Amino acid sequence: MTIACLLVIPLISGLLAVLSPAKRFLQWVFVSGAALLAGCAWALVFRTAGTGPRFEFGGNILLDPLAAVFVFLIATVGLLSAVYAAGYLFGESDLAIPLVKLKRYAIFFHLFLLSMLLVVLSNNLGIMWIAIEGTTLASAFLVNVDDKKSSIEAAWKYLILCTVGIALALFGIILVYYSATSGGGGEGQDLLHWSVLLSRAATLDPQIMKLAFVFILAGYGTKAGLAPFHSWLPDAHSQAPSPVSALLSGVLLSCSISGIIRFHILTRAAVGGGFSDGLLIFFGVLSVAVACPFILVQGDYKRLLAYSSVEHMGLTAAGIGFGSFFGVYGALLHIVNHAFTKSLLFFSCGHILHHFRTKEIRGVRGLLKTSPFLGTVFFAGILAIAGLPPFSVFVSEFSILSGGFASRHFGATAAVIALLVLIFAGFVRHLSEMALGERVREPHPSRNGWMDGVLWIGLFLIVSLGIYIPGPFQDLLHGAVRVVEGAGG
Amino acid sequence: MTGAAWMLPALHFVAMLLLVTSLALIVSPQLFACIRFYALHSFLLALITTGTALYHRVPHVLIAAVLTLVLKTIVIPQIFYRMIRRLGIRRDVETYLNIPLSLIFSTLLVFISFYGVGNLRAIKPPLSQEFVSIAVATLFLGMFMMTTRKKALTQVLGLLLIENGLFLLGVTTTFGMPLLVEIGIFFDVLVGAIIMGVFVFKIRGAFEGLDMDQLTMLKG
Repeated sequence: MTIACLLVIPLISGLLAVLSPAKRFLQWVFVSGAALLAGCAWALVFRTAGTGPRFEFGGNILLDPLAAVFVFLIATVGLLSAVYAAGYLFGESDLAIPLVKLKRYAIFFHLFLLSMLLVVLSNNLGIMWIAIEGTTLASAFLVNVDDKKSSIEAAWKYLILCTVGIALALFGIILVYYSATSGGGGEGQDLLHWSVLLSRAATLDPQIMKLAFVFILAGYGTKAGLAPFHSWLPDAHSQAPSPVSALLSGVLLSCSISGIIRFHILTRAAVGGGFSDGLLIFFGVLSVAVACPFILVQGDYKRLLAYSSVEHMGLTAAGIGFGSFFGVYGALLHIVNHAFTKSLLFFSCGHILHHFRTKEIRGVRGLLKTSPFLGTVFFAGILAIAGLPPFSVFVSEFSILSGGFASRHFGATAAVIALLVLIFAGFVRHLSEMALGERVREPHPSRNGWMDGVLWIGLFLIVSLGIYIPGPFQDLLHGAVRVVEGAGG
Repeated sequence: MTGAAWMLPALHFVAMLLLVTSLALIVSPQLFACIRFYALHSFLLALITTGTALYHRVPHVLIAAVLTLVLKTIVIPQIFYRMIRRLGIRRDVETYLNIPLSLIFSTLLVFISFYGVGNLRAIKPPLSQEFVSIAVATLFLGMFMMTTRKKALTQVLGLLLIENGLFLLGVTTTFGMPLLVEIGIFFDVLVGAIIMGVFVFKIRGAFEGLDMDQLTMLKG
């Protein structure tokens, strides 16, 4: 099993989607492509978990435990999203879209997966940048599937804001490259390779590296939805179809975080601790603080979840910044837990939208009585994302916060705890409005096996990961923590 | 290992022309003129790139110069021309700021970038700090253009201006990124321009105009 498989499979699936003559065939290609990719990714990730880093394509591609965590995430949530979309967009309901648009959707979906995999697997910082820009370009058409005014507006804002943000990151990368070439590096093309730069970190100019990190944090932070660069995020997440929202929120944001983590490791090695950690904590806490009021007064349930993504990306960034084993471990676990929980929630939003025909919180009443299964999943999902035990998000949040105390960032940690309590209250308020009360609609008439199955799997994941983390996955996370902490990468 | 002595002042002169072209792009009131200035901007950029390649004897930079010439001075402006004809949009640029005010702000931005970069002792590029200042100024001017223009098309032009600034920075400080990366960036720029073009059409179709004033439905 080679890493090349991961990059070739989505490409072939995309090509086959172009050539598909009929809807059934397209649906088959669309889902089985994602399934095959997930199978390969799981095999590759868990087989290489114990071994050292693997380089391919002349060192341009690197699979180490840190990358493996993200590959696992992309493939898994990608598969869930594909299966859900097979019911949601390819189904017979009136939310389904015509064949031409389905084709476009399938093509860009697989290209989107490809670009995200390239982001997390690239060792060459320039290629990573190209891939991140690629994710924006590929997903713009996924955000705007239905050509409604509001979707076009959201996609346009997404395109423009993220491209400008990414341009800032390129500025940072040029600075890093300049620092490497002027720091006595020989002629050679590998001076943009993360692993090479890391081994030569002492020769990098600290002042330039600091400047570069600021630009890269602003640039990739835009894509990761860190405040104050998050303004595209609620629009794109609320206007995209639910399976895409799940992918954007669960995986795309995490991919950008992976880019930030790589540069954080590099910057810390070059200038010492304190600088990039401090910035990550600052912007992390700021994101939680900015998301909080929007969560409290939100009137649109998809935007509510979008702001919650800002909050959770902030928590993750803060966890990485806190450092220490618990902070980093918590942050990485949090990325995974958030991805599963948030994608489950966006999937159930698809069900709710399907049934209630509105995105407004006040339009949804008595969810538990209208549709007991959907209501239960949504209820559990919201409690999970708000950080209630025994769900998985609680475990990682707890770990991040204990990391904060362990590294003696008392002020920041206390602020986060206070904000989390407020956010919890906001979620419970919205949840009680939506889930409780008398039923206002007829019971859910149509059942779709694809869509319901995804909800079952999601529910299983968020509950089971909260109680027990399987051994191989635990090893993977520990390996990734070692990469971030700089021991035995 | 450097080229003829006359080349350095010539490069400086072209860089100054580049800055003037950015300013002209910002203040020109006509959409067609904007695109012509963008093409000129890219042409001057290709000249600087060629000059750098010859002066420092770094042949792989020449490929980037050729790509700039083909893609940014010919292909992308052509895409824009066609788009304007097909859309039949009004040819004048509408801004939130009037032209004298834009010019004052732009001059201020140029001043800030020269002053700021001058204070950065850590960057000592092989050519001269002036190029870094001009690159940063181009970056700022592109952002300024994106925030003060009403039309979707001029926002894309602002974005391309930013990209040109970054390219100049890359070429003059590090002789460009490795070729593989450089080609990837060109690819992204081209695909990005095409996709944004598609969206310009969609905005036109859905909103009966290209004014960004109308794109204010999503809030909170």
